This record gives sequence, structure tokens and C-alpha cells, in this order.
Amino acid sequence: MIEIMDLHKSFGENRVLQGVDLRVERGQSVVIIGGSGSGKSVLLKHIIGLLIPDRGSVIIDGVDITKLDRKHLYEMRRKFGMLFQGAALFDSMSVWENVSFVLLRSGMRAREAKEIAVEDLRRVGLSGVEDMMPADLSGGMRKRVGLARAIVHKPEVLLYDEPTTGIDPILADAINDLIVKMREELKVTSVAITHDMHSAYKIADRIAMLYQGRIVHEGTPEEIRNTENEIVRQFITGSARGPIRIEGVTA
Amino acid sequence: MYRFLALLGDVIIRFTEETGRIIVLLGSVLKEMLVPPFEGRNTIKQMHEIGVRSVPVVLITAIFTGMVLALQTFTSFKRFGAESMVGSVVALSMTREMGPVLTGLIVAGRAGAAMAAELGTMRVTEQIDALETLATNPVKYLIVPRFVSSLLILPSLTVLADIIGILGGYLITVGLFGTSSVVYWRRTWDYLYLEDVYNGLIKACFFGAAMALVSCYKGFYTRGGAEGVGRATTGAVVVSFMTILISDYFLTAWLFE
Repeated sequence: MIEIMDLHKSFGENRVLQGVDLRVERGQSVVIIGGSGSGKSVLLKHIIGLLIPDRGSVIIDGVDITKLDRKHLYEMRRKFGMLFQGAALFDSMSVWENVSFVLLRSGMRAREAKEIAVEDLRRVGLSGVEDMMPADLSGGMRKRVGLARAIVHKPEVLLYDEPTTGIDPILADAINDLIVKMREELKVTSVAITHDMHSAYKIADRIAMLYQGRIVHEGTPEEIRNTENEIVRQFITGSARGPIRIEGVTA
Repeated sequence: MYRFLALLGDVIIRFTEETGRIIVLLGSVLKEMLVPPFEGRNTIKQMHEIGVRSVPVVLITAIFTGMVLALQTFTSFKRFGAESMVGSVVALSMTREMGPVLTGLIVAGRAGAAMAAELGTMRVTEQIDALETLATNPVKYLIVPRFVSSLLILPSLTVLADIIGILGGYLITVGLFGTSSVVYWRRTWDYLYLEDVYNGLIKACFFGAAMALVSCYKGFYTRGGAEGVGRATTGAVVVSFMTILISDYFLTAWLFE
């Protein structure tokens, strides 16, 4: 259902994506792993059409979204929900207004929209926060609210940008549980990017490693764990020695 | 010499590029402005933010500007016995020049900076991307209301500034120097044409639109975290001020020729 073919993207001299190929089947949960600055976020932003590739295509349900005009792209985006790294909640709105933003925009009455927001907040384990402002929430709560906002319009695909970065390990695990729960309850397809292997093993059906602008290896969590691929091995064991070179650091 | 030319070329290229991008943004703002649904609630909120909250500072600036104008004119004109003309000078200066320009500068400093900072923060915290993923056009949702509000609010604030400035002039001329109140009002009305007022308001509309566009542009295309937001905010104020002052000359030459 999501098919990425030969995706290239450069920012000035910096060639971030150099021919990414990736397929995500309906209902599957794919985690893209890779080092900082490897282009994971850039790849994710292409899937939802926030960035336009220099070359290649992103096909969602048979439609190449890189060629859509704004109106059709927005229609396509209704199939998606996205959880941003810092949650990206709108500071000027209360929690429930954030969650039901799409509903309010589509003309739903405030009362009804709030009820749905409260219900989705409960689904992500939050109650009694609907009238608070995002600034009054902790990092973990913000991520949950961000998740509630991403699922409020019942999307078919959920995208997660570093869902466990910047929160403590216990909270991170709670977020992982939520991601699994979302998938089971809502039957969504998920694509997550992370460098947290613990999270990747927990939420993925398949894991793909992005390195030097390409997917260099792909497999089930079990296959990744036992892989012979040196790049992947170095990454999952978190070693500074190996084929992956860190700029400015000599191993 | 070579380095100087390279630097000059760099400045020209950047200026042209930035101007081009602002014009492209203006194009999409104008397009989105005319296509429903209209962001009524958002626009009213912005009017309150840009307009109502600027009233106190506009009032204080206007009354003191009127007072200074009267003070300066009175003491200067006294030298050749033309004190009776103070009312006209204050009224013409306020409506044609000081009202729109000062209001423009104040709103640019207050609301323009706030626009750049707010949009800049939204950009660096991915809130603008989030709007996109929620199928909401950020230009329509964020920039159009600010643009429309500024366009409408600036002339309204200018009318207020004009009136208060003229009253400030009255306070000094009549209250301090003891000129007859009848003479002050007479001189004010005798030489003030409706054209002076509405040409001043046309200027105000232009300043409002330019200030909002520049500030939103700076905020919307912010890069580089908190530092970037700071740069965008400063840039918004500086460029808005320059735009207002430079365009003022050309607008004056065109409107009042």
C-alpha cells in the first residue's frame, strides 16, 4: 500500500536520499532505523508529502503523491496521522482543541468534537487534561496528546517521528505499548523512524536500516538481531568501531 | 576589489531572491484570501491582537507627537508672526504623514515582531508541518488572517492617531500658549482637505499589508532553532521599518503630487 521507489533528495550539496526503495504492506508496522542525520526524518516527510523528492516516487494505494496538486494531496493526507518528535502541539490551543483540530476544521460542533477528543485522550491513557494548555504538560503527556491528535480522524496510516526520543525509558516503553495498541485496535499501518533499538524490536514487524541515503538491509526483528550485515550489526550493538564512520571521530 | 565585488554580488542575489519569494508569498496570500472557507474567527482574533492591543501605545505616541508638533511650530512660527497657522500644520502633518507612518512603525515593532516570533516558533517546533499533515493550508490558516487584519486595522488606528494628534496640538496651542480655541479649529478645518485624510489612510493600508507580509514571511521561513527565531524577529522589524520609510517617500510623491 505504501511503495517508495528510487527516492532521491538533496539539500544543496548534501545528498540525503540516494535511491531509497521501500514497501510497506497494509496493516504492517515498519521501523526505519539509522543514525542521526541519516535522512530518516526526510524519508518520513516524503511519505506524507511534506517534502517533494528530486527524483523517484511515493505511491500510496496506487497513487503517486509526488505528482498530486495541493487539493488532492490534502485529501490523501486524511488517510494519515503523524506523531512528531516534539509532538508539535499548537501552543495557542487547549489540549482538546489540539486533538479535535481536524474535526473542528471540518465544521463539527465544538461539543461533539470535544467528546471525541476526550475519548481519544482516554485511549492514549490521559484523562482530565482536555482543558489544559500544551505548555502545562510534561514531555510524555505531550507525546500522548500528539498521538491522540494523530488518531482522531481514524487514519489508515500512522507515522511516528522518533516516538521515544527525549523521554525516560519507562515512559518510552509506555509509548511503545501505545503504538502496539494503536495497531491492534485501529488496524493501522505504521511507519516509525527511530534509533532506539529497544523500541524498534518492540513495535516492528519489519525493520529497515537507512544508511548513506539507501535502505541497506531489511528484515524481521529476529533477522535483524541475528544479521551478518556489518553495518546493521554495528548499529544495533551501538559500537563506534565498524564500517559506519562518524564525521570528525576516528575509531 | 575582487572581494568587494563578490560581496556586492552576493548581497544583490540575496536581495533579489528574497524579494522574489516575498512576491510569490503575496501571490498565494491573495489567492487564498479570495477562496472560501474564510478564516473569520481567526481574523477577528488577529484584529484584536494587532489592533486593540496596539491602541494604548498608538494613543500615547500620537498625543505626544501632536504636542511636539504644536510646540515646535508655535515657537518657530512666532518668529515671523504666523502662530495662528499651528492648527493647520498639526492637522496636515498628522493626517498626511505622522499618523500613518508612526502607526505603521508602532504596529510593525509590536505586532510584526510578534507575528515573526510566533510563526518562527511554529516553524522550528514543526507546528507548521503538523498543520500540513492535518490537511490545513498554513498560508491560509496563519498568514491570510494576519495580512487581512493588518490591512484593515492600520487605517483604523491611523484615524485614531490623527484625531488624538490634533487634540494634542490643541492642548499645547490653546492650553499652554493661550491661542484662541476658535482660531485653532478654524485653521485646522480651513486647510485640511478630505483628500489629505484618505491619502494618509491609503498609505496606512499599504504599510499594514507590507508589514504583515514581511513579518509573516520572516517567521514562516525561519530556520535554525531559537537563534533562527531571534534572527527572524529582528529581521522582520528592520525590514518592515525600512519598507515603511522607503515606500512612504514614493507613496507621498505619487499620492500628493
